[in-house]
Amino acid sequence: MASSGTCHDDAGGPKKETIYHQVKEFLDKGETLAVATIVSTKGSTPREVGAKMVVTAWGEILGTIGGGCGEADVKREAIEVIRTRQPKTVRVDLLDDIASDSPAVCGGIMNVFIEPWTK
Amino acid sequence: MERLVEELIRIQDEGGAGVLATVVEAETSSGVDAGEKCLIRDGKPVVGTIRHERFLAAIVNEAHARLKEEKSKLVTVELPDAGGTAEVFFEVLPAPPKLIVVGAGHIAVPLAKVAKILDFKVTVLDDRILFANRDRFPDADDIRVGDMAAELKSTTITPSTYIVLITRGHKYDEPCLREIIYSPAKYIGMIGSRRRIKACFERFKNEEKIAEEVIERVYAPIGLDLATETPEEIAVSIMAEIVKVRRGGEAKSLSGK
Repeated sequence: MASSGTCHDDAGGPKKETIYHQVKEFLDKGETLAVATIVSTKGSTPREVGAKMVVTAWGEILGTIGGGCGEADVKREAIEVIRTRQPKTVRVDLLDDIASDSPAVCGGIMNVFIEPWTK
Repeated sequence: MERLVEELIRIQDEGGAGVLATVVEAETSSGVDAGEKCLIRDGKPVVGTIRHERFLAAIVNEAHARLKEEKSKLVTVELPDAGGTAEVFFEVLPAPPKLIVVGAGHIAVPLAKVAKILDFKVTVLDDRILFANRDRFPDADDIRVGDMAAELKSTTITPSTYIVLITRGHKYDEPCLREIIYSPAKYIGMIGSRRRIKACFERFKNEEKIAEEVIERVYAPIGLDLATETPEEIAVSIMAEIVKVRRGGEAKSLSGK
């Protein structure tokens, strides 16, 4: 392909990995994860309903629910969920800080369900 | 969770569709707890922790509606015996959308590219190997050379299939359209001028006795009105129409201008 002056990705590429492939790896190692899912939104939010973020007990993050302050709050709550093993719904208010430079400030509200996943 | 995660991976690896229902909130007296879940595939619960039988039946029903809409959603579900309700989140795992490009000419090349960017599985059909080949379509998932109508006949078409007829002439488009007009495809678009399309539809009505409502499902002339000039722009206009059909937008400028 290089000789024709154009550039392409590999035709097939590797099989697409989803977040669940990564979740499996962690669970296989016996870790408990917190799975955070946006279940409803109001107004403008950085990610759509169904977007997921997985948090490990050490605070490692897979996937995103939009980044910024909201995500940091959810990460904190997620670590708590891993500790207590009790699911909970967290309301993330992106209205707070409208003057902030953070791209995550969209002005909306999202409800995030966080639950512990173990093997 | 191990079996659940394995099934979730299997659905995605097999290009299948499913719905993962999770109880997010329930009244304490209901006997159903937050975090209980059920994975539904092909209309049946595959794996999960929800035991309440009638509640499960209600969830399987709702999952069917969610999958049809291809939209994840939080839904209030009745708890038949407890007399209360539960908030259940339905996460839709849609089958990857498939685009069949019939006719491998100058619009098909950028069309296949844009469709790949949008995560469609792309199949290209043409009866000319000079056009339907790897050099022209390096990232297509499948390239088939043969009689286009016959190839369409042997292709699996589902509600997540989108078909674009852009062959080199109506002589080829029409038999292809005849082959797929009763198929469950979510979208059928056909290129051509208003005048030629009108003539084609007249023939379909009069000679083939195809009902008007059936003919009306065809998007022709194809694409959104972007006053396109180049093949690349036409490709964007076609894919924009497909995204609109898939997601249900109005295709107006959000600014209202």
